[in-house]
Amino acid sequence: MTTSEIFADATESKGEAVIEVDGVDKYFGDFQALEDINMRVGLQEVVVVIGPSGSGKSTLIRCINRLEKHDRGRIAVHGIELSDDVRNIQEIRRETGMVFQQFNLFPHLTVLENITLAPREVRRMPKKEAEDLAMEQLTRVKIPEQARKYPGQLSGGQQQRVAIARALAMRPKVMLFDEPTSALDPEMIKEVLDVMVELAEAGMTMIVVTHEMGFARAVADRVVFMSDGQIVEVGTPQHFFTDPREERTKLFLSQIL
Amino acid sequence: MRVIRVVGQVLAVLAVFLLLRWLYGNLVTNSQLRGLSLDFGFLGRPTQFQIPYHDEFDPRSPVFAMVLVGVKNTLLAGAFGIALASVLGLIVGVARLSENWLVAQLSSWYVEFFRNIPPLLVIIFFAFAVFLYGPFPNLREAILVGLPWGDGNLLMFSNEEWGVPSLAATGNLAMFSILALVSVVVAIGVWWWRTTVNRDTGAPHHRVLWSLGVLLGLLVVSYVILGGPFEMSWPTPSENRRRIVNGFALNAGFMSVAGALGLYTASHVAEIIRGSIQAVSGGQIEAANALALSSFQRYRFILLPQAMRIALPPYINQCLNLVKNTSLAAAVGYSEITNLTQTSIGNGRPAVPSIVVLMVVYLCFSLVISFILNIVNRRMQLVTR
Amino acid sequence: MTSVESRPPPTLDRRNALAWAAHRLFPNVRSGILTVILIPLLGYLAYRVFLFVAVNGRWEVVERNLTLFMQGTFPRDEQWRIVAQIVLLALAAGIGAGTASASAHDRAIEAGLPFTRSGSLDLIRRFWSVIGFVLILLYFASTTTPWLVAAGTVASFVVGLAARFLPTSWRNVGWALMALALVAGFQVVSGTSGRAWIISAVLVALGLLSVVSFEGLAKGWARLGGRTAVALGASAVVFLIYSNVVDPGVGWDAWSGLHLTLWVSALAIVLSFPLGLMLALARRSSLPALRGLATGYIELIRGVPLITLLFMGQFILVFMLPTGSNLSDISRAIAAMTLFTAAYVAEIVRGGLQSLPTGQTEAGQALGLAPPTTMRKIILPQALRAVIPAMVGQFISLFKDSTLLLIIAINEFLGVRSLVHAQADFRAVAHAETLVFAAFGYWAFSYAMSKESQRLEHRLRVGER
Repeated sequence: MTTSEIFADATESKGEAVIEVDGVDKYFGDFQALEDINMRVGLQEVVVVIGPSGSGKSTLIRCINRLEKHDRGRIAVHGIELSDDVRNIQEIRRETGMVFQQFNLFPHLTVLENITLAPREVRRMPKKEAEDLAMEQLTRVKIPEQARKYPGQLSGGQQQRVAIARALAMRPKVMLFDEPTSALDPEMIKEVLDVMVELAEAGMTMIVVTHEMGFARAVADRVVFMSDGQIVEVGTPQHFFTDPREERTKLFLSQIL
Repeated sequence: MRVIRVVGQVLAVLAVFLLLRWLYGNLVTNSQLRGLSLDFGFLGRPTQFQIPYHDEFDPRSPVFAMVLVGVKNTLLAGAFGIALASVLGLIVGVARLSENWLVAQLSSWYVEFFRNIPPLLVIIFFAFAVFLYGPFPNLREAILVGLPWGDGNLLMFSNEEWGVPSLAATGNLAMFSILALVSVVVAIGVWWWRTTVNRDTGAPHHRVLWSLGVLLGLLVVSYVILGGPFEMSWPTPSENRRRIVNGFALNAGFMSVAGALGLYTASHVAEIIRGSIQAVSGGQIEAANALALSSFQRYRFILLPQAMRIALPPYINQCLNLVKNTSLAAAVGYSEITNLTQTSIGNGRPAVPSIVVLMVVYLCFSLVISFILNIVNRRMQLVTR
Repeated sequence: MTSVESRPPPTLDRRNALAWAAHRLFPNVRSGILTVILIPLLGYLAYRVFLFVAVNGRWEVVERNLTLFMQGTFPRDEQWRIVAQIVLLALAAGIGAGTASASAHDRAIEAGLPFTRSGSLDLIRRFWSVIGFVLILLYFASTTTPWLVAAGTVASFVVGLAARFLPTSWRNVGWALMALALVAGFQVVSGTSGRAWIISAVLVALGLLSVVSFEGLAKGWARLGGRTAVALGASAVVFLIYSNVVDPGVGWDAWSGLHLTLWVSALAIVLSFPLGLMLALARRSSLPALRGLATGYIELIRGVPLITLLFMGQFILVFMLPTGSNLSDISRAIAAMTLFTAAYVAEIVRGGLQSLPTGQTEAGQALGLAPPTTMRKIILPQALRAVIPAMVGQFISLFKDSTLLLIIAINEFLGVRSLVHAQADFRAVAHAETLVFAAFGYWAFSYAMSKESQRLEHRLRVGER
């Protein structure tokens, strides 16, 4: 699909573009993981990316905060263009928060220390101020009482919520979620999704890679379907679930819905 | 910031190079000041000392020959030590998992004892408390274990040498060797044949019994045909009763080093084997039982192959350690390469090149063994995808 | 074949003793025969050992030479220094143990985790081999002095433990006091000089510096204070090591016996740690030259036996220094052992670094942390904690390898035998006795340390979910 066709289907982005992805390619050796990706995410917009495994959706958001390096094209976050300049990368990483599938909490630090580490080291906050901020985020994700515990003592759902609080403590402009509930036991998925819904309703700009269609239906402004490294179809959630256009999209949705 | 990091590392490399150059420069200056040589010419000059228990070594032969003798002795002690350590280690390792409490405890005590004492101490214990100042008499009054039939000794025991029987060539040994080689080839053919039979018909192949039997039979036939190309050589005291002639003389140094290192390394090998057997997951045992395999079959086809795969790298590492530990023989007078180097330096040979040669020798051993280890690792990975 | 099972043996209950014996000693016919053969064999062996230890053994060789074994040829009139050292080190150990226990306790309480404090009975059970060895030493002692020293050591350890009652904000003072006791313990055998007291004063100042809580201030000032403290501490340590190794103290060349063994092992492991850490990081560097150099060094050292490096230290090392420098034999040996151990430490640390999941680095990066910060706060703490058991194992190896010093004529605990058996009375007798005594000494320490390492490893793994 050409760029204009994609945007003809999408709703208008609300306001200025926070993330711009233009003509991005990415290769792993000979294998092409991303092909001609074009995407714009506006302020306060919630974009959900779906697709089969190996479609490149994780690679895409990992390119946005430079955990992976794109080979061609342009990526810009809040006007700052992603390049090899380390200062750029650091600035972008300060403005984006990431939540991983495997949580990646630091096991040797308490929950509070996990959350205050970056504000103190990167934003140079004094300890007391950082701890107040951390408690505020922990309350937001509804587990303030776990502050002094170690990650190993918490359940998976609690750990992921701590990970969200840790990312939020840096006051990012955009939150990136890489399959946040895929590693959780079913009974804990809801508590994490509830936090994410609240975050969306509070106006956070989010890109979420997930299989949770209920979440998409509830808060997504746009759904992007990727397959084999390409963006195949973009539209509102209703569009996807009532009348998807492409064959590949129909096939995928029939497998998961 | 990245530039700073790269610059920093480049500076670090530069600093290391400058340091090495400075050290080497000092070395050259100081050596010149003291009139010490730094070249390897000493290898061609005569050794000028006698190597104990090597009567055939001529002190006028070049130092290089001495090095070869040292290497040979290192490898000899290493080979016997590895053999002892492997067999003993396997037994103790499996015994550790026995359901008999006594057997399991004994092997546990063995491991906990030998693992926690220095190998040098074990070597010195053998050399001094067992041999030199131990219960065995002087060579002049060696204990002789006579042959049950007529003259001659089966074994000789003393505190510095033991005599054991060996084979001495009386006839056409070369021809016999050729025939022996042929027998081995035939035996391999038999092995292959039995394997094919088993594959095609499903009958048990008994290939070990078959090939060994064929090998033995052919060797006996060759022996008879050639009219006995060798005979037993029994150890006897020499004229002045200061040496053992005929037979095979094991000197106390060799036995101390090989025996002590065998016992010591066996404790490590035992732990490796125990760990690797336990590392094979319990589900394997359950699956084997579910398939109605007997206990022996379970070990032979499921447990040991997987355990060996896990155990092989650390086992090879222990073999390398044992070879390196033969250098401890410098404390008990067994003439392996480190001991000889120490003596050589004491006799006035240049220290720096001698030590470099010594280190190169051991590096060769390490490289060879690492190379083998790499091949083993890669082959194991290929097999397990 | 015996079956592969690792269930714990059933508890020995008086009623069930017979059942236990039947199950564990005679589970089947083959096993039963083994038991029947082994028991009389073991009994005979135990009988012979008993004869050797209690009846036939010529233990006067140990009794008369106990001082030689313990401190070698250390000048007799300076013996008080060794006593002072032992007491001070026990004090330091007590303070360290008390402070560490208290802070672990606090953290556990906050996290709601259970915390068990090791009682004295527990300690005896863990270190019975070392306690046994000390008791045997005391048995052989012919004067009362060793008894007094032993009592003094225990007393000062207990006094040190009182550090656990320090309030939380004074915790850093506790660590500073421990450092002070360590320094004093080392200085007292190396000779007291003005330098030593300056360094001690610096360390006390550091302790006070870190007590003052900078946390209320903006991060910049706290960082400056922290960095100054670290810099001062590091330079003090370096200076201390330099002054004691290059310009050593009381009878450095006469140090021998068990005293030397313990010091050489401790020094070598402490000195090799920073070098090994640097080598491990260099090996992961992106610059191929640095990586090549580090790998080359590590592979070279690991391919040769320690004795060749000791030779190198004895014969070559001094020539590599500016003309006219000289190092005592023991300093050369320590240098060689440090270079040797550093390569093994580097491999251990490398293993620890590799064992961390990459997600940890990624999380640090995603949070915007600079790479050095990620390394310092996230990677290294986890990696180093994970390799503690392996490091203890390396220390045990080093402790046993110290016996190699006797090959280059430095008489440590095992080598002192040559002095003992040079005496007319013991020229050809009692070799087995001295060897058994030395073996017991090494075994007692190594066994205790390896059990502690296993315990630590078990606790680390239990902590993981």
